[in-house]
Amino acid sequence: MEPTRELHGTISDLLDRVLDKGLIINADVIITLSGIPLIAVNLRAAIAGMETMLEYGVMTDWDEATRARERRIREERAAVGAQ
Amino acid sequence: MTDNEGTGRYVYCIAQVDEKLSLGRISLAGTEVYTIPTGGLCAIVHDCPAAPYSSDEEEIVHQWVVSHQAVVEAALKEFGTVLPMRFDTIIRDTDGVSAEDNVRRWLSDDSDVLRQKLERVRGKEEYGVQVFWDPTAITRLLSETNPEIAGIEEDIRSKSKGLAYMYRQRLEKLLKQEVETEVEKRFRDFHHRIKASVSEVRLERTKKEGDKQMMMNLSCLVPMEGVRPLADELEEIDHMDGFSVRFTGPWPPYSFVTWE
Repeated sequence: MEPTRELHGTISDLLDRVLDKGLIINADVIITLSGIPLIAVNLRAAIAGMETMLEYGVMTDWDEATRARERRIREERAAVGAQ
Repeated sequence: MTDNEGTGRYVYCIAQVDEKLSLGRISLAGTEVYTIPTGGLCAIVHDCPAAPYSSDEEEIVHQWVVSHQAVVEAALKEFGTVLPMRFDTIIRDTDGVSAEDNVRRWLSDDSDVLRQKLERVRGKEEYGVQVFWDPTAITRLLSETNPEIAGIEEDIRSKSKGLAYMYRQRLEKLLKQEVETEVEKRFRDFHHRIKASVSEVRLERTKKEGDKQMMMNLSCLVPMEGVRPLADELEEIDHMDGFSVRFTGPWPPYSFVTWE
């Protein structure tokens, strides 16, 4: 099976990576404007969608752990933003 | 916080190069992209105001993201291994310190951890793997192969209307359980096989994609020229009844540079 990078079919994969992943600067070290989710809120909502596997009980623990991690990151960001 | 008077540097990625170089006018604003080097590392940047790029228009955001990616790709081609930054990472000037000096200060302050991250992804690329399952096909398959289910179906045919209804309820409950067990079993099996064929694997959040049920969303870190074992495993999974695979990449290692 060959991987694809054809732009039309993989734009959501690209958005996932560039908007939600990638290196974030450690804000203790330097002032940065990153992490302010001003862009395309609707777009993200459309992309995120439902976690269909949850109703089947798969990956519940993992999902909860991810949520907890994201909450923590958000809180850290909020704290940085308030400085 | 967003002081529009100030200046900033939009950072695309980090590379291990100690030279001031231009990559041409390829920024997401159409301006010059260049390196800010210090102590063996460099940031690949363009000059911008001290305000984030922001828009409600999907098309504009798409273009920015595609441009961001194009710059990271160009840097990858030029410098080999890079650490791709998240979109809209802008370092601005502060009291008496220029944006460029703040970039240098960040590079030298975080030098150790940036080098560690570069080592982790050196010579490797990222691939996206999404496995989907077809509930109708899996349910059909199970009702054909599971003796208990076949037995209840046999019972239903010989019962009165009222009893048949109860049996049908039981059948549906059993089928749902069996489907759940089957998909969980497959999840573990696929995850195990994929993990064994790559350098690193990350479980990502599953998402809705049309009518298809995504059971697994993975980011895989794979040595360059070493994608064959993964591709072979995915080929097998893709050929299994009721399962299909989406395989994208190679990507810069966006999923393997975040803070753990």
